[in-house]
Amino acid sequence: MLFNSAAFLIFFPVVTTAYFLLPHRFRWILLLAASCYFYMAFIPEYILILAVTITVDYFAGLGLEKFDGRRKRWVLIASIVSNVGMLAFFKYFNFANENLAALANFIGWNYPIQTLSIILPIGLSFHTFQSLSYTIEVYRGSQKAERHFGYLALYVLYYPQLVAGPIERPQNILHQLHEEHHFEYSRVTDGLKWMAWGMFKKVVIADRMVHFVNPVYGDPANYDGPALLLATLAFGIQIYCDFSGYSDIALGSAQVMGVKLMKNFDHPYFARSISEFWRCWHISLSTWFRDYVYIPLGGNRVSELRWAFNIFLTFLISGLWHGANWTFIIWGALHGFYFVLSTLTEPFWRRLSAVTRLNQLPRLKAGLAMLATFSLVTFAWIFFRAESLGDALYITRHLVSGWPSYLAQSWDTLVQGIQGIADVGLYSIVDALFKIAEPLTNESRVVIALTALALFILLAIEILQYRGNLLEQLDQKPVILRRVVYASLLAAILILGTSYASVQQAFIYFQF
Amino acid sequence: MPAQVRRFFISLLQVILLTAAIVTLVFAAIGPDPNHYFAGSALQLELLRNTPSPRIILVGGSNVSFGLDAELMQRKLGIPVINDGLHAGLGVAPLRELQEHIRAGDIIIISLEYQLFSSRDVMEGDLTFLSDWIEYAPERVKYLSDPWRDTPALYAIMLQRKVNRQVNTFLFGGSLNDVRDVFIGTHYNSNGDFIGHLQQASTPRRKISFEPYPVSSVEQDIFNVLEQFHQFAHLKGAQVYFEAPASRRINCENTGEASLASFFKTFNEKSTIPLLTPVEEVCLPDKYFFDTAYHLNAEGRRLRTERLIENLTRLNASK
Repeated sequence: MLFNSAAFLIFFPVVTTAYFLLPHRFRWILLLAASCYFYMAFIPEYILILAVTITVDYFAGLGLEKFDGRRKRWVLIASIVSNVGMLAFFKYFNFANENLAALANFIGWNYPIQTLSIILPIGLSFHTFQSLSYTIEVYRGSQKAERHFGYLALYVLYYPQLVAGPIERPQNILHQLHEEHHFEYSRVTDGLKWMAWGMFKKVVIADRMVHFVNPVYGDPANYDGPALLLATLAFGIQIYCDFSGYSDIALGSAQVMGVKLMKNFDHPYFARSISEFWRCWHISLSTWFRDYVYIPLGGNRVSELRWAFNIFLTFLISGLWHGANWTFIIWGALHGFYFVLSTLTEPFWRRLSAVTRLNQLPRLKAGLAMLATFSLVTFAWIFFRAESLGDALYITRHLVSGWPSYLAQSWDTLVQGIQGIADVGLYSIVDALFKIAEPLTNESRVVIALTALALFILLAIEILQYRGNLLEQLDQKPVILRRVVYASLLAAILILGTSYASVQQAFIYFQF
Repeated sequence: MPAQVRRFFISLLQVILLTAAIVTLVFAAIGPDPNHYFAGSALQLELLRNTPSPRIILVGGSNVSFGLDAELMQRKLGIPVINDGLHAGLGVAPLRELQEHIRAGDIIIISLEYQLFSSRDVMEGDLTFLSDWIEYAPERVKYLSDPWRDTPALYAIMLQRKVNRQVNTFLFGGSLNDVRDVFIGTHYNSNGDFIGHLQQASTPRRKISFEPYPVSSVEQDIFNVLEQFHQFAHLKGAQVYFEAPASRRINCENTGEASLASFFKTFNEKSTIPLLTPVEEVCLPDKYFFDTAYHLNAEGRRLRTERLIENLTRLNASK
């Protein structure tokens, strides 16, 4: 079930109302049944994969508490193998098989294994990682094994974060699922506000960006540098609004029922370095890799070379986690490279900012750092979004093509627009701006104008949130003003949203 | 009810009412666009309601509105003729609307584009087109295949399209006529024929796709709809015929003679509605087409209408 579907509009209030009406001892049954229903709206049979994973991890958890030494380690290994094995089969088998077949073909061997026709279970990477964190934490002794099978199943299946995270740790969520939560006005309304804001980001911004991204990335050879750049920037906005929108709806819907999920995004495009970006982007995954891959590899308590290797490997695996394709692996490698290089060159940048006296202009320095980080991240998105490695390389090579003629033409248009003010007023400038934008997209002027308006709203709210807690600030305002703001947000979702046709745009991260 | 819950429901109600007020305001402030191509459907509906029977009603997509001349038929046959053709994107919804207006003695000529036979989704119509069509007569919502499922999405789309239109007028000071080309709602005659294209040349600017017509797979659903319509019309004392859609020779060739013949053979097997068009008359020379492989120009429209009159006269004479 999609959060942006009519079905969820019925599902959510029904489940939430039933949740608060039921005595606490029955609530886990309701949530578990609702979560199964939510998941089974995609491919019902795949619930069996989760059933196997949960059963294995339930007994593994009990075994990990019972055994010591080598037996305990074997239990952990068995749990990891079963979880990762499921992921490897469904997500990576065909990728590995195709690459092996290509290699065999290259060296002239006969390779008999055929590609399997399998559909990737929705959210597999997310719930596999969440299951893994349970057995690892029990192994480490930081979490007691869950003795109630139903609660462990709910920990994995909890519908707000089942298919696209946040990837929770058992220490944060299991005890919350056990606790009794009463109806609390401020908590419930805050949750609903987050859901509305998440929905705005998804249906108004992310789905609108699809129209600027898909035509270009679907056939990049037909476009020049300016259009390729615009599509790449649009994708950066799309993926942020799509994924953080999903996370906001997940956090909000869990919060309504009294469960506080971990924050998944913290204004990542305002980050001033790659390391800061990764502290703000998909936080639950970054910290998962930090805790379960990077630190066990030795973290930063090793030689510089080994540290660089650890970082690079972690990002490489993170890339592979996102998808079984070389484009994702290169995306991960690029971020690993950025991370290592920016950390190693940090003294140089410090000295440079001292020499150029940029230190004395902290706002300009921060702005430049944000711009540099945003540019690097945006460049890497090319590999994330491109449909093949060939397309990605084509886009990177042609990103600089076509600019002289486009800029010259735009300049002429702008000058004509300014000259036209005397005759037709400010409309002349507006017309010129549209004429500059039009060659970059197939969309109409109305769509361009409404997209610009939606992006302005997004930027304004992101800046306000970045500077302080927007909800708290809003709570200080008169009641009528607050009501008008929330009603306007809902009306904006209805008026500017683009997902009302019979087929909704699925969330990008569902595929991972 | 606990005080916190009561407070919550009051706040929620206030926000919902305010949202509804904003949305209602938008709906009330922005009326249907008189220049939209679908504005002609309001006139066609008036004709269906007010034209006395017996009469001939031509129904289908734009192959009917562009390619049949109801005015000429009325002159030659001496009975009222209504052109109720509009757009293939509406699927069979106009057929469902027409059903309510059938009276004894009516002759209904259906001419559906090939794609309506190829998939159930196409047959049910596209929500964007349907929302534009329903804007001119809100009661049309009952002609959706699943009104309960589709109405919320349909009104959301309608709301967005109203706002888009208004933003366009506000920003660019005019209507959308420039981008609409000839597809303008005021270009209908009093019989419901679309006439906006008649003075326009079929210039090379209007490149027509050479795509084959989608006749290779035919769904049963459309025949169920047609049969139900035929039986209903029969009970009311009306006659129903099927006229092949205007089909362009080059597209027919790309489709394949055998495929087209097989399509009409299937039609005759699965439908009890008599086929008016002899198979050899289905495809018309390329020069008679205007801007799509279904839209005839003035000459093509005349030729097709005259053939239809002949076929209809011959059929009635043979009875």
